[in-house]
Amino acid sequence: MPEKQIVLKNCQMINPRDINTYLARHDFKALAKAQVMEPDEIINEVKASGLRGRGGAGFPCGSKWEAARNTPGDEKYLVGNADEGEVGTFKDRYIIENDPFTFIEGITIAAYAIGAKQSYIYLRSEYHRLRNLLENAISQAKDKGFLKHVKIDIREGAGAYICGEETALMDSIEGKRGEPRYRPPFPTTKGLWGNPTVINNVETLMNIPNIILNGAQQFRQIGTERSKGTKVFSVSGDVAKPGVYELVLGSKLRELVIDLAGAETVKMVQIGGAMGRIVSSTMLDTSLSFETILGAGGVIVYNESRDTIDIVLRTMEFLNKESCGKCSPCREGTEAMVKILQKFAGGRGTPKDTGLLEELSSTMMLASLCGLGQAAPFPVIDSLQYFRHDYESRIK
Amino acid sequence: MAEVKVTINGAQTSGREGVTILELAQENGIKIPTLCYLTELSPTGACRICIVEVEGSRTLVGSCHTPITPGMIIQTHSPKVLATRKVIIELLFASHCGFCMLCNKANVCNLRELAADLDVGLSPFQTRKRFYPIEDNPYIQIDRTQCILCRKCVRACREIAENGILGIAYRSFDTKIVIDNDQPLAQDTCRDCDICISVCPTGCLSKPKKLSAAKTGKPLIIC
Ligand SMILES: Cc1cc2nc3c(=O)[nH]c(=O)nc-3n(C[C@H](O)[C@H](O)[C@H](O)COP(=O)(O)O)c2cc1C
Ligand code: FES
Repeated sequence: MPEKQIVLKNCQMINPRDINTYLARHDFKALAKAQVMEPDEIINEVKASGLRGRGGAGFPCGSKWEAARNTPGDEKYLVGNADEGEVGTFKDRYIIENDPFTFIEGITIAAYAIGAKQSYIYLRSEYHRLRNLLENAISQAKDKGFLKHVKIDIREGAGAYICGEETALMDSIEGKRGEPRYRPPFPTTKGLWGNPTVINNVETLMNIPNIILNGAQQFRQIGTERSKGTKVFSVSGDVAKPGVYELVLGSKLRELVIDLAGAETVKMVQIGGAMGRIVSSTMLDTSLSFETILGAGGVIVYNESRDTIDIVLRTMEFLNKESCGKCSPCREGTEAMVKILQKFAGGRGTPKDTGLLEELSSTMMLASLCGLGQAAPFPVIDSLQYFRHDYESRIK
Repeated sequence: MAEVKVTINGAQTSGREGVTILELAQENGIKIPTLCYLTELSPTGACRICIVEVEGSRTLVGSCHTPITPGMIIQTHSPKVLATRKVIIELLFASHCGFCMLCNKANVCNLRELAADLDVGLSPFQTRKRFYPIEDNPYIQIDRTQCILCRKCVRACREIAENGILGIAYRSFDTKIVIDNDQPLAQDTCRDCDICISVCPTGCLSKPKKLSAAKTGKPLIIC
């Protein structure tokens, strides 16, 4: 069975409002072990584990920590990215709702390793109701003496998808309008208020206590060549059992959407939300890994009754609305794409329009300032590749 | 400071550490177009016109804000770069008012100049147009219909005039330059320094025409 509970092992097993139920199982043992290690040792362990970021980009976690640790400076920051704005993604919510303590333990270890005395949890405003639960968990951990070396504060977003993007997130924490910054300099050298900063997804940090406790070698045992460990997916759409599933990396898409979630007729699957990739039903044997397709974990299944153009248009309308408005290829490009897709939706496409979509896609992917504009064309190019007839049948 | 060796358009050259690709290109007599960059202002990376090809990079790279690194191989005018720049200008024109014939900036407009350089004719893209009423006040006349959101005025007001009354508000296509919290220009905040007007690449910001105010002295024609 490809299912394996590593990240989610405490979910439904402990009371998220009572640290004692967590201590009964784990006792913050990973933090205790980490604190007798040298920070460099921890970083090397995380590097050896092969853990890659679970927030979408898959950047090697240990290398990111190392970069921040090696940048000179007294003031360093760690941010747990709980913005989870991606369409159809709700795994971080499930994690926080059920096991805030492992998340907090992960933050404390990461902060210790990079030398951060201050950390933030950036919580999306739509998850406001989780704030109380998190604050409660933080204060319980503090009372037990686990937060002596690091302060954890919660910062709430204001409802912008872009603020999940790490540089926009930092602007938002600094109290500015959330807009991506150009890179380099990367956050690990110049992040929050110009100081070295590590930003990690919730799920990435959830893996840390396990790696420290059981060692990199054990973590590396499952997964593929370049994708180690498990991944938490949130499945929604035309499936019998929507929900959160944790699978060994490299598992087949079929195992997730058919075997576990119980999809019947699949037309297409959107993997990784609005900025993710679209695959057709003939590709259900694709494996889910960083080498192939992964994204942040949101998997949306569409059955035969769904209309391709409608799906792509809605996705593009979302991205257009959420574009921050800073760089011209994304701000104007998503707008132009919506207009062309609307023509197809109304059966008024022209033969020239598919070419224009391709030209636009290329420009946006190559020239946009951040990941939003660079990934926004994915649904268009993927659907043009696998469902081109759906476009051609709408040409008047 | 250490010299950094790079290759730009096939020729080997070097620059000081920390210099951007754009600055190095300028030193070597290569002209990379820009819309949101100005030497006197901090770079922002908004317009993306200055993108260049850097070997090994997945995307094109904004030259106005990317420092050179040892061994960088840069192409400033490859077919890929030119095609991308052209689409960006076409996009900017799609939402632009397009009344160039009537515009008082017509022959000194950076956008129009770039469009000519890149062979941009009628934009193939159809987007909404940005139509806003012209905002008139004694200091700055603002015609947001012509704004390309390069943010030079915002930065100039903050960084040169050290005033900071101009800002950015709203998101996505509705993003616009605003004064304070999107209010009419208050007489006591603007210092009437005209710096924002002088940096505007299009006809968006201009000096108000004080038609009657200047009428002093004798009338020209005496019957
Ligand atoms: C438009 C956009 C939205 C993003 N939203 C999120 C998000 O909600 N949560 C998240 O963890 N990462 C998000 N990311 C990715 C972050 O920029 C960043 O790569 C990630 O938080 C790094 O953490 P990791 O290395 O642990 O994956 C987003 C990226 C983009 C371009
Ligand atoms: S000039 Fe470099 S992004 Fe505008």
